Amino acid sequence: MAQRTPSGALRDRRGRSASGTRLWTWLMLPGTLWMTGFLIASLILVATLALGTTDPLGNPRFGFNFANIAAMADPAYRIVLLRSLGFALIACAVCLVVAYPVAYTIALHGGRFKNLLIAAIVVPFFANYLVRMYGWSVVLSDGGPVLRALRAVGLADAHTKILQSGTGVVAGLVYGFIVFMIIPLYAALERMDLSLIEAGRDLYGGPLRTFFFVTLPATRQGAAAGAVLVFLPAMGDFVSAQLMGGPDQIMIGNLIQDKFFQGQNWPLGSALTMLMMAVLFIGMLGYLRRTRKDEAEAAR
Amino acid sequence: MSPEEPPPVSRRALLRSGAAAALGAGLAGCGFLPEDRDAFGDPDRPIDVKADGDLVYFNWADFVAPAVFDGFEKEYGVKVVQSNFDSMEGMAAKLNAGNRYDIIFPTAKWAQRLADGGRLRRIDHSRLRHAGAVFGTYRYFADPWYDRRSAHTVPFTMYKTGIGWRKDRIGDDLTGSWKDLWNARAKGQVFVLDDRDEVLGMAALRLGLDVGTSDPRDLARITATLQSLRPRLRGFSSDSYNNLLNGNAAMTQAWSGDMAAMLGQAKDPSVLGFEVAREGAPINSDCYAIPANARHPGTAMLFIDYMLRPENVRKNIRYIGYPMPVGGSEDVYASIVKPFPQCLVSPDDLKADLFFRNVSPAGEQARDTAWTHVKAG
Repeated sequence: MAQRTPSGALRDRRGRSASGTRLWTWLMLPGTLWMTGFLIASLILVATLALGTTDPLGNPRFGFNFANIAAMADPAYRIVLLRSLGFALIACAVCLVVAYPVAYTIALHGGRFKNLLIAAIVVPFFANYLVRMYGWSVVLSDGGPVLRALRAVGLADAHTKILQSGTGVVAGLVYGFIVFMIIPLYAALERMDLSLIEAGRDLYGGPLRTFFFVTLPATRQGAAAGAVLVFLPAMGDFVSAQLMGGPDQIMIGNLIQDKFFQGQNWPLGSALTMLMMAVLFIGMLGYLRRTRKDEAEAAR
Repeated sequence: MSPEEPPPVSRRALLRSGAAAALGAGLAGCGFLPEDRDAFGDPDRPIDVKADGDLVYFNWADFVAPAVFDGFEKEYGVKVVQSNFDSMEGMAAKLNAGNRYDIIFPTAKWAQRLADGGRLRRIDHSRLRHAGAVFGTYRYFADPWYDRRSAHTVPFTMYKTGIGWRKDRIGDDLTGSWKDLWNARAKGQVFVLDDRDEVLGMAALRLGLDVGTSDPRDLARITATLQSLRPRLRGFSSDSYNNLLNGNAAMTQAWSGDMAAMLGQAKDPSVLGFEVAREGAPINSDCYAIPANARHPGTAMLFIDYMLRPENVRKNIRYIGYPMPVGGSEDVYASIVKPFPQCLVSPDDLKADLFFRNVSPAGEQARDTAWTHVKAG
């Protein structure tokens, strides 16, 4: 008996925490089931379909051929993939620069209007993205109100155009996804201990130095989360390039959409999807490594 | 009752087809569908032309005048249950998923695929009182390439592909060739349709090749020709209607139906022009068809006959702006598109036979790769 006491005590402690763990396991069950059912299962479907073929009516059929994977070697896909990567990264950077002051102002100077201001930013995003972008494509068209006004005051000539340019596509992406940057930044700034800023000032840091050496590092994780939230959908987006872009701005999302709809080649579309996800996964690995390092530093 | 009337469905067959339909609905578009003809019914059973229930109608949005629907509902005491598709691929996916419609409107290419796949009911033209105006005048449709003897279809509308342009920006006259898309004055303001067949077909016609070629050497020449157009392009877009009206396009490859619709919408239609290239204009048509698994094929037959009545043809042409191959209706369409006489589709146009056809899977893939290269640059 005596020898067993320590291990018994251990078991007891473990048992208690195990019942707690069990509760949390149960609570996680619905979410896990949901993710397994709709995310993992559909991912597996896409992955297997990448090896499939199509029948004469355009129905995808499962199979085991590597033609779609081999087709990925076409340089056209590499060019478009790199372009999408570039657009998504630029959109991320622009979002960060535009969103930071907005989040900062609302979090630190919003006072009692904080929630109202955040709502004012979020509510328009309830309207369908496609519809809003379609609206923009009309407003920014050559004969649209914006260019007409600019021409009237002499800021544009007959050849100035906004649509069908790289700037147009990036602007569309920024417009579409900036709310995903503002919210995490706002949350980070809101949570930040304001005495840190005071401390920075007490240590003779000017407003700029305090911002760059205190505020910015303290909200780094919010910015990183925002960057991921903007980057992922921007990378796969096709609406912006479709409505705001020209022939030289086509993104990987457009090609994938083409394969699934017009081309009726679901297997090739699936293979392209897997290729894009592989690229995104590598990017995500970098992000996860970085956050783990951050957490480790914070724990120290 | 006709002697060919099929025996009443056995309970087991009913259960089996029910299960197949449920399975089909559950696995919509996933490619697990069993190749089971029973699930879609026997396409060759003759149809009794009598109202056998409400009409479940599946078409592009706004493709029949509402007044015509009202008249049909009133006359036959049935309801028209409408749903719409936004692409042929979308339509096929819905059908493949086991959805049941009484009447659908596939394009020629899709009619062939569906008929070959045993998905369309046989339509006996002799049971349609007004079919004579179609098949008698437009002989082409008596035995079209997509459906032997039009055994499963009745043609509905037709259209051509040409070039629409802004006369106020480019001038009144073009040369009447597909080369006009390379016009220096339009540089940077040219759109082509966001449609694989149309764009590859346009370049093929310019080069004097077969409009739907899938020969690798032809496709290489087509891709090269389109690469020379690319720097002049502003985009790939099938929204010719808005692109011309809002000024983004000075010139665009365009479908005749869109141009006809623009005549009613433009503030000043005289600034618009539409030409058909002398190298040839791709032509297309769509048709009425009854899916093999339709629940109310009798009502569908009544509907087709009703739609072919001269007064309803005229109402529909005025409403949708597309010509129909119905003898005696040509004057209505001609008066709508008076400024763009090239929108008219004559029996001679049909004889030129520049339809986009189904090609082999390998050819399909070759065309798809060429299109990816054209688009991605």
